[in-house]
Amino acid sequence: MSGIKAEDTRRGDFDQIGKPLPRKEDSRLLRGKGTYVDDIDIPGALHVCFVRSPHAHARIAGFDLDEAKAVPGVVAVVTGHEVNDWTNGLRLAPPIEGLQPTEMTTLPVDKVRFHGDLVACVVAIDRYVAEDAAELVQVDYEVLEAVATYDSALADGAPLVDETLPSNLVSHQRFEAGDIARRKQEACRIVEASFAMQRMTHLPMETRGCIAVWDDGRQHLTMHIGSQAPHPMRSALAGRLRLGEHQVTVASPDVGGAFGQKIIVYREEITVAALARHLKRPVRWREDRIENLSASLQARENTVHTRAAVAADGRILSLEAEILEDFGAYCFYPANYLARVIGMILTGPYRIQDYAFEVKIALTNKCGAGPMRAPMAITSLVMDGTLDAVARELDLDPAEVRRVNMLRPSDLPYVMPTGETLEDITPGECFERGLREIDYAAVRKRQAEDRAQQIYRGIGICNVVESTTYGSAFYKAAGIPGSGHEAAWVKIEPSGAIRASAGLMGTGQSYETPFAQAVAEGLGADASQVDILLGNTDIAPYGMGARGSRGATAGGGTLFLTALDLKAKMLDIAAALLGLNSASELDIKGGRVLRHVGGEWIETEFGIADIARTAYLDPLKLPDGMQPGLEMHRAWDPPQMTYSNSTHFCEVTLNPVTGEVGIDRYLIVEDCGTVLNPLVVAGQQQGATVLGIGGVLFEHMIYDASGQNLCGTMADYMIPTATEAPEIEIIAQHTPSKRTPAGIKGMAEGGVMGAIGAVNNAVNDALRPFGVVADRQPLSPDYIRGLLRGKQ
Amino acid sequence: MSKVAIKLAVNGEMHEIFAEPRKLLSDVLREDLRLTGTHVGCEHGVCGSCTVQVDGAPSRACLIFAIQMQGREITTVEGLTPDEGLSPLQQALHEEHGLQCGFCTPGIITTFDAYLRENPDPSDDEIRKVLSGNLCRCTGYDSIVRAVKRAARMIREGAAE
Repeated sequence: MSGIKAEDTRRGDFDQIGKPLPRKEDSRLLRGKGTYVDDIDIPGALHVCFVRSPHAHARIAGFDLDEAKAVPGVVAVVTGHEVNDWTNGLRLAPPIEGLQPTEMTTLPVDKVRFHGDLVACVVAIDRYVAEDAAELVQVDYEVLEAVATYDSALADGAPLVDETLPSNLVSHQRFEAGDIARRKQEACRIVEASFAMQRMTHLPMETRGCIAVWDDGRQHLTMHIGSQAPHPMRSALAGRLRLGEHQVTVASPDVGGAFGQKIIVYREEITVAALARHLKRPVRWREDRIENLSASLQARENTVHTRAAVAADGRILSLEAEILEDFGAYCFYPANYLARVIGMILTGPYRIQDYAFEVKIALTNKCGAGPMRAPMAITSLVMDGTLDAVARELDLDPAEVRRVNMLRPSDLPYVMPTGETLEDITPGECFERGLREIDYAAVRKRQAEDRAQQIYRGIGICNVVESTTYGSAFYKAAGIPGSGHEAAWVKIEPSGAIRASAGLMGTGQSYETPFAQAVAEGLGADASQVDILLGNTDIAPYGMGARGSRGATAGGGTLFLTALDLKAKMLDIAAALLGLNSASELDIKGGRVLRHVGGEWIETEFGIADIARTAYLDPLKLPDGMQPGLEMHRAWDPPQMTYSNSTHFCEVTLNPVTGEVGIDRYLIVEDCGTVLNPLVVAGQQQGATVLGIGGVLFEHMIYDASGQNLCGTMADYMIPTATEAPEIEIIAQHTPSKRTPAGIKGMAEGGVMGAIGAVNNAVNDALRPFGVVADRQPLSPDYIRGLLRGKQ
Repeated sequence: MSKVAIKLAVNGEMHEIFAEPRKLLSDVLREDLRLTGTHVGCEHGVCGSCTVQVDGAPSRACLIFAIQMQGREITTVEGLTPDEGLSPLQQALHEEHGLQCGFCTPGIITTFDAYLRENPDPSDDEIRKVLSGNLCRCTGYDSIVRAVKRAARMIREGAAE
């Protein structure tokens, strides 16, 4: 079986970075001794159950809470009339041209905007009683016409989702570089193509949930909650609850997956926290799966139309893209946020300078949208799918069209038309390596032979340039609020025990092990000796959390730099202990101080534990002026953007009778720079790719025309199981970034991008004899059969 | 609804708890017995996270009332964990990176502990068919399949000694 290879990727000087170490967190998780939020026992905690709207759009005419309040065991039943008095609403009004400012209260009081919207909250002694009482809450609704699709939301006279806005067009931006009109005149053909991704949801195996503990004596809130970004969450909670940031601790325990769904603070969580403070008792909430499917953030649902002016050899002379997105009923993020990134990086690894895009985002009466693992996922499908459209129209080979447009090594660093700089990437090399590996000519030959036998094979290729680590400069350039910096501390205790922390919080990304490797590398210690503490805002430094694919570069990079600073201090202490004037001939490896003598590194009598003991307990031996103790704190802001790249190859067989797509082979050639831990990286690549495959073939959050959510169970919203997931072969390349510590680039979303493109392109390749093109996902048997009807 | 006494044999120990007859086995294990290794992912029997063994057979604890389990033997992930170290299946999942967030993992351990007892040398396809009852959103499954194969080998070799 292929797949994860425990290949040792240590390079050059690295001792700890690049080792395929199994994970530190496994021991507790495998024994059933992990601590997820619902595993935390808080004596006396009350349980809440939310009452939600059964309508997509309705005015709330009144409530009758009496029957629910009378249920034995019910402590309180509240609506927005109380909760909105206790909390501030969310106003999103960043100064971005074309973005409408939006505002929402914690709970709606006048109208509901989607099926699953919040109406009331029951607090009771246990979850069973809370659910019983929630069924007795009576709400008078006046049902309004709903807009359930992008097009209906923007139709003339459409009902307004947000009545404070002039229309449902919540965000509209344009960008243009170069001279598109001129390029079109020079072109031999104008090729148009369309791509659409369906509404999806993150579906972490652990739903959301939280426990709010209010200490009325210290006037302090402790929020136990699985969070990707504990510090930004603390800031938001404090602001919404009218508390000082010092009055709030966010403590994230183990998290059962998030994929972007557990970044922001939601209205439910603010309500739970406000109730704990108001009732002066701990309050907890475990989200039901139906709530997760209907009212936690959803994602994607974007459509992109492209228009490419092309030369006879398939070269793209100019590219125009129209990016449309259905953002749902509420803006929990600035509405331009996700689509904007698609526009910024759309041209990928191709030589295109004349480029324009337009972004139009609509509000609809569906659950609010937000980033999901690879929010820019459609990018690579759109770009490589456009190249496939060019190949079809000009009757060229799809690989050849990619080749003539591909950036060459001599083009790098390459400034994209949006101003983004690509460097230290190897798209052409990965592409060619993959073509050789699958024996592209042989695959095409077999495809032609099999077509004669009515066996319909398709080969799909997708070149991915994955934006991984967003520096502060990117946010500023993109017109998106945010900072890209990360912070870390590393401490060595008097015994020599090593602990480190960063502001990121893992939700399955395996941070504890690669972060320990980055710290160990910087210090000259062994990763097994490093304990990583994440998720508690009283312990971790203020950082921006886990988002994008910034963990390795921003988290690992900052920890590595911090550890290097601490090592420098240790070496100065070691020099003093050895009676040397300078530390220039000293190093630390494996926890031991080494001295360079006569061209060789000789182990001295001192190790990290000796240095630590001196630093804390014998400070008079320290160099003059040095402070006692061994701890270091620093922050680091990554470059504007780091990019990894990969090429995905997918071979499928299409059954034209059933419409079923079978994946015969899946190969990835990927270059994500210096890798902290190749075992962990391969796991991320495989997991991301299967998540992408799920999006292409199966997953679909379906709403009917009246805005009713039809996917209330995991049997309705289908993700890949082990029988649908293919084996995934990975060939790794490692071109380090010159702009990051240790050359780290990051990855974890490119797999999604590549799969969405490669599988879709493969299916279209298989469909070619029938003269039809699949231009929207999921590529369900039903949809494929619809395309083929009357074509066979 | 009033509480009743329920006698449960879990991981070889007898427990008596007081709970409403409607209380799910998953909730009783987690709340009354504090065996929180059994995870609740969907509460409608699809995801497999709450899988426990009932008289040795994998079963969804979220679809069973605790009161139905009197006179049966329940085994959870805690009961399949040795006092020291890891079982061969747990060790193989560790070595093959067969878990990421870990939420689905206890259900996979309880499922394959039972399966490997009856099927000591399964093929990849057989493993995938059985694993299709446990949803995982992180790994993409490859590494779990490989871990089960490795565990099967470890158990066979252990038995041969």
